[in-house]
Amino acid sequence: MNRLSPTLSRGIARVTEAALGPYQSAVIRIGFAGTWLLFLLREFPHRQELYGPSGPWGWNLAKELTDDNHAFTALLWSDGQLWFECCYALAILASAALLLGWRTRTASLLFMVGVLSLQNRSVFVGDGGDNVLHLMSIYLVFTRCGQVWSLDARRAARGAAARARGEHVPADRVGPVLWAVLGLALGTATLTGRFHDWLIPALLWTAWAALGLWWAVGRRAAWREPRTLLDVIANVLHNGALVVIMAEACLIYATAGWYKVQGSRWQDGTAVYYPLHLDYFSPWPALADLMSSSGTIMMIVAYGTVMVQVAFPFTLFNRRVKNVLLVLMMTEHAVIAVVLGLPFFSLAMIAADAVFLPTSFLRRLGDLAARARGRLARRAGLTVPAPRSPEESTADHVGFSA
Amino acid sequence: MDAYDEDSRGPQAPDGSAGTRLPEEPPEHDPPSPPRTGVAALSPRYQVAAALALAVVAVAGCVHLLMVFLSLAPANTVTKQHGQAVQDWVYPEFEQNWKLFAPNPLQQNIAVQVRAEVRMRDGGLRTTGWTDLSAQDGAAIDGNLVPSHTQQNELRRAWDFLAATHAADNRPVGMRGSLSEQYLRRIVVMRLYRDDPTSREGVIQRVQVRSSTTNVQPPPWSRERISAKPVYRVLPWWALTSDEAAGGVR
Repeated sequence: MNRLSPTLSRGIARVTEAALGPYQSAVIRIGFAGTWLLFLLREFPHRQELYGPSGPWGWNLAKELTDDNHAFTALLWSDGQLWFECCYALAILASAALLLGWRTRTASLLFMVGVLSLQNRSVFVGDGGDNVLHLMSIYLVFTRCGQVWSLDARRAARGAAARARGEHVPADRVGPVLWAVLGLALGTATLTGRFHDWLIPALLWTAWAALGLWWAVGRRAAWREPRTLLDVIANVLHNGALVVIMAEACLIYATAGWYKVQGSRWQDGTAVYYPLHLDYFSPWPALADLMSSSGTIMMIVAYGTVMVQVAFPFTLFNRRVKNVLLVLMMTEHAVIAVVLGLPFFSLAMIAADAVFLPTSFLRRLGDLAARARGRLARRAGLTVPAPRSPEESTADHVGFSA
Repeated sequence: MDAYDEDSRGPQAPDGSAGTRLPEEPPEHDPPSPPRTGVAALSPRYQVAAALALAVVAVAGCVHLLMVFLSLAPANTVTKQHGQAVQDWVYPEFEQNWKLFAPNPLQQNIAVQVRAEVRMRDGGLRTTGWTDLSAQDGAAIDGNLVPSHTQQNELRRAWDFLAATHAADNRPVGMRGSLSEQYLRRIVVMRLYRDDPTSREGVIQRVQVRSSTTNVQPPPWSRERISAKPVYRVLPWWALTSDEAAGGVR
């Protein structure tokens, strides 16, 4: 007991004083937002057929199903074409804002609304990739995922630098306006009885109230302590959400792995052959034939897949082994993206894997991206405002490579 | 758990993640010493609130993960007793299925085929031949780096949905059975009007759907032998609603 309590208090100090894993949370933010953004752009020509009011999964059918299962979707608030187009456009904008880290918390809420609205509107067009994004869009709301590699971080750094030089920093206008507009929208939706379940509306209202409180408390210099308390709560929520995200990734692999162990095809080593020869999952039949020409290779891939998936959660206790498996899994997903024609599923899984990447690697990646950006901007000529040098941007641990 | 992070030196200052926050107060001292953060910086009264928040988040996180775990685990003693509570927690927003290609991958190509009865402009009634919509999907996926959900998931999953909500005698089970029929009918009608020359010339009156299930032939290096003959499941003719017949599904 005596030795336990210092450990416990150290632990409490750690999870309350900082939002841990700033790079990991930023990379999954960019990963999930980017995946969904690319998906929305790719499906833009097919948006009517997938989610539109007169698509095959028509408005009435969707309404009947969601009245029964109480899933949240703003798309069914109206069967108008204009409403649908606005929602789709807003979903695109929210993904872009989250990707760039512009008003990250608000963007993450809008991102969640966009993901849930579209996916719950047409549940039968999704696959595993949509499922990952669905869950992660909810979890991301609780994280402070804009600490690095975001426009928010850049704005905060510029503000701090200006204040350090003794300059006056004008008060933020965009934030309060955004807050008021979204509050109005939320209030309208609530008063007109659009919400049927409590979970998502409660989350939205709580977040809205918390953002308002945060702003109010930040205005008064004397309210140092309430401000610190809010900061502590935000850190605790972030750290809890990060644990849930990591555990969710482990659950995905554990479920996929342990159920495979029971399958006769995974046992006899032919399992990988079959998806490669399904018409719906073989965009490159010649490549699939080439890969499955050797029974030995197929068996090694099948056994290797099961072993990696089952083992992964346990390797988290050892950094080096974990990193090796991480490379293996990301590679496998990259191969799946092409060979089985599942690019968005694979991207979402790679984004989920990225939460386990080591900080040193992520920072090197950020530096590289910042340098590449700098080179690009220089090549573009003098019409572009001079970018901050990578040295400068890494000095305050903020890479603008999003 | 924190094996992911060898170096937690992140920016310690609160971030800009909150949409409406104002810039930080200027530091009071020069040079600024980093202000104490975390619970240590709080007076006892506030520490209680912080501890409460920590407890709530910890409990909520653990309960959530437990519920998700139970929803994914095979049926067991706990889920037999508390299955309803698990369902209530997880559905609809945390529903998940990670039995990816497990326990066994699908080993059959299931093709959805359709034919239609079309009222032609001259008043005559024509029945089209069977159109293999899944083959069209397969052709659209071939050589495609980014297959659309409309090609890869829509028809395939609509058929799965129908198969899961219909009895062996093709009678729909419950509300979902009826929904799945309408869904599949709307898909096939939309696609017939889009691609089938006969349907485009007239007005579709009725459609009939069948599935053709063919075993994927075992790999050449295995000694298994299985039938290559397709097995058909033929559904009854379905009449269209006036909206569907008028090409209202887009």
